[in-house]
Amino acid sequence: MASAFETFRRLGPAAFVVKAIISVIVADVLLLGFIMLRRTYRKRYFAKRDARLFEIRERWDALVSGEIPYATWRAKPSDRQLVETMVLDAFEVAGPEESARLLKFMRASGLVEKCISDARNHQGWRRHRALVALGRTRAPEGIPALAEGLRDRNPETRLAALRGLGQMACPEAAVEILNWIGEAGLVVPALPLQSALIQTCAERPQVLLPYLQHAGVSVREVLGRVLGEVATPSLGTEVLQFAEDSLPELRAAAARALSYVEPGLAVNVLSALARDPVWFVRLRAIVSLGKLGDRATIPFLLNGLTDSNRLVRLRAGEALADLRIEMVSIFEEVVAMRDRYGLHAYLTAVENAGLQAKLEAEIKAIGRASNQVKEILLEVLRTGKAPLDQPRPEEKVSTAAASR
Amino acid sequence: MIHFLEVSNQVLFFYYLLSNLAYLMMLIIALKTSAAHLRHLESIPLHWIKGSPLAPPITVLVPARNEEKSITTAVRNVLDLDYPQLEVIVINDGSSDGTLQVMQQEFRLRLVRAVYVQQVTSAPVRGLYRSDVDARLLVVDKEPAGSKADAVNAGLNAATSPYVCIVDADSVLERDALLRIMVPVLADPKRVVSVGGIVRVLNGSEIEGGRMRRVRLPRKSIEVIQVVEYLRAFLIGREAWARGNMLTIISGAFGVFRTDLVLAVGGYRSRAIGEDFDLVTRLHRYLLDRGADYCIEFVPDPVCWTEVPSDLRSLGRQRARWQKGLLDVLWPNKDMLFRPRYGRIGCLALPYLWLFELLAPVIELGGVATIILAACFGILSGAFCLQFLLFGYAFATVISIGSVLQEELTYKRYNDWQDVARLLSYCFLEHFPYRQLHMIWRLQGVWQYLRGDLVWRPMKRQGLQSAGTD
Repeated sequence: MASAFETFRRLGPAAFVVKAIISVIVADVLLLGFIMLRRTYRKRYFAKRDARLFEIRERWDALVSGEIPYATWRAKPSDRQLVETMVLDAFEVAGPEESARLLKFMRASGLVEKCISDARNHQGWRRHRALVALGRTRAPEGIPALAEGLRDRNPETRLAALRGLGQMACPEAAVEILNWIGEAGLVVPALPLQSALIQTCAERPQVLLPYLQHAGVSVREVLGRVLGEVATPSLGTEVLQFAEDSLPELRAAAARALSYVEPGLAVNVLSALARDPVWFVRLRAIVSLGKLGDRATIPFLLNGLTDSNRLVRLRAGEALADLRIEMVSIFEEVVAMRDRYGLHAYLTAVENAGLQAKLEAEIKAIGRASNQVKEILLEVLRTGKAPLDQPRPEEKVSTAAASR
Repeated sequence: MIHFLEVSNQVLFFYYLLSNLAYLMMLIIALKTSAAHLRHLESIPLHWIKGSPLAPPITVLVPARNEEKSITTAVRNVLDLDYPQLEVIVINDGSSDGTLQVMQQEFRLRLVRAVYVQQVTSAPVRGLYRSDVDARLLVVDKEPAGSKADAVNAGLNAATSPYVCIVDADSVLERDALLRIMVPVLADPKRVVSVGGIVRVLNGSEIEGGRMRRVRLPRKSIEVIQVVEYLRAFLIGREAWARGNMLTIISGAFGVFRTDLVLAVGGYRSRAIGEDFDLVTRLHRYLLDRGADYCIEFVPDPVCWTEVPSDLRSLGRQRARWQKGLLDVLWPNKDMLFRPRYGRIGCLALPYLWLFELLAPVIELGGVATIILAACFGILSGAFCLQFLLFGYAFATVISIGSVLQEELTYKRYNDWQDVARLLSYCFLEHFPYRQLHMIWRLQGVWQYLRGDLVWRPMKRQGLQSAGTD
């Protein structure tokens, strides 16, 4: 009787198929075995890890205060990793006092040093993780290591370093980022850069100003957007210089920042920006005018209702509705404009703000207008249609407008 | 005849081998990509995005037609999503049941005059409703047009955000799904024009208050097989194609698109059968025609749970429709094939779809017939014939188990031992007899399309309420 191997040899070309079948069956069995073994291993691993986590959590205060000697957990990699993760998570929700305590613990236990070392010496995803973790510690001594990451050849490493610096949330980190984009230009996507700069410049937006004057066009656009996000009253009139800038992003940023400036000064500039040829500059100006919440902004917001851009009209309508003053006068003016799109935007805003009933009641209550005008206004409010074929409400009492 | 059978058998052998090798390659790419994605996520905690002022606003579009059973759960689920700037537009596509009434009651809708500019074609709108319970919710009530595409177009006209996310009304999104799907967009908003998320099978799992409470495998075999299928399609297929920027489909159940681009290509094609596939293909064409540097991504962790057909008849109808949709898109875009202008899409992705998706039922069923004939005529030895079929079966099973492995290594949604064991056992059933049945349905789809039978046949569904203990 021939052996199995002999039979197999005699199969000829079919032997290839048989080999293939055996291979795939073995592959199937190996995959099944791997899945089962991995499940068992992970079940045990997580059970042990959770138990250890609870132990550490129970003694957390003693651990952070240094009562428990650092050597007891530092030598064991799994424990060290657990403690590091827990501290970094604790940073996310900690107030200033708790953050200081945690940072002191990280410094004393050597975790900050370890994060810095990992951020400098690891490669690939380990380095990316270490860079972000270093940023989360908010330890200023980590900034140089993060700055090195910014200058790495790998774009992912640069992004991770940028995220880390963003987490530092301090002006020193902002300066590092700004210096770097000054040298290298825009070598990362704009949004992560903006995000990092917003976080780091929030405390002192003034750091942006010198860079804004000298940077190239693409970087200025990004910095302009950041300025618009971080502008605070502390910037004062410094943003006015950008209201006439050639870059629309900077004009938009100025418009946005002006919402924090005193209305007396801001309204004039914003009214000019609300007539800008670029739609998003007008949009920012209208939103800022709305934020000022000042009576003097009404004529410009009414103009915004006739804008060619839908979003500008909508925001103008919202701003007018949010004023919640002189509702009837404003409505009369909107109707008198005979602009269907403007009327539509205003009525949408009134409805969204739930002010329709209030406006109706106020129209009914006004004593200065004739019944015919009231009816026209109520009809427009109900139907949303401008009275194109009806007489213009000439009797409109414009005392409010005159007072403006 | 004999010569024909010999050639046919050889063609089928190489076709089958090539198809499985392609999938094996995709499995390897997907395993690598998923691992890289998970590591990448370690450096981007999601709550950063949640608190970021730069997260762009998103409008979630929920087209609904006769969804009175599930609409409340679906809308509540979308409104509860974690995302800083969200607008939700439900499009009632002329439902003949109480879909609108249920929403009116639940969300206290009132008729408003919100801005509605018809930028893309859709059936006339009857009215727009804003919710008094949650101002982010807008309902567009429109005339029926018989297609989801038309409903989505109406939603697009009312959307005010730079990104739109299209979600099916019979689906449930995980709470952080939008944050996760926006990760690639936030990393590179200029290049990333669209992102797809993973769609998983909802049947069998427990839903509470519009939220996934417990993930379980469905009870019915037909549903479990679809779980394996979805895992293979999303975790292997989409992941690998997206890696090479060759993704040609983003599931209609869950995907994010740049609004301006969708409007630029004219929105969804109202008469498209596979509207999701059609839109992505048109986006590719539009962008490649303009030489744009762009990217269409797939992210495997933002999960959308959707109900799949639970009976053979409905499943057959669904698969026939998918095949019709495939043909409906591939045929009009045949001019993209092998044209250098369309890059990898024209030279790799579309030819793959023609050969291994569209023609698969014809080649495979024809091939099996010729093998049997060859065996009958004695051209092929019975043993070899059996070995060949066994080889094909075992190879394909490796891929299916590979998709379960991918799930195990990465996202691990099925925690129960029993579920994993069942999932693995169904990997062995997927390629016999399910695959052959599937091929027949797909062949039916091709036949229906060629006959001009484009009628949408309703599927039997349970609704989200029955998916668990709501």
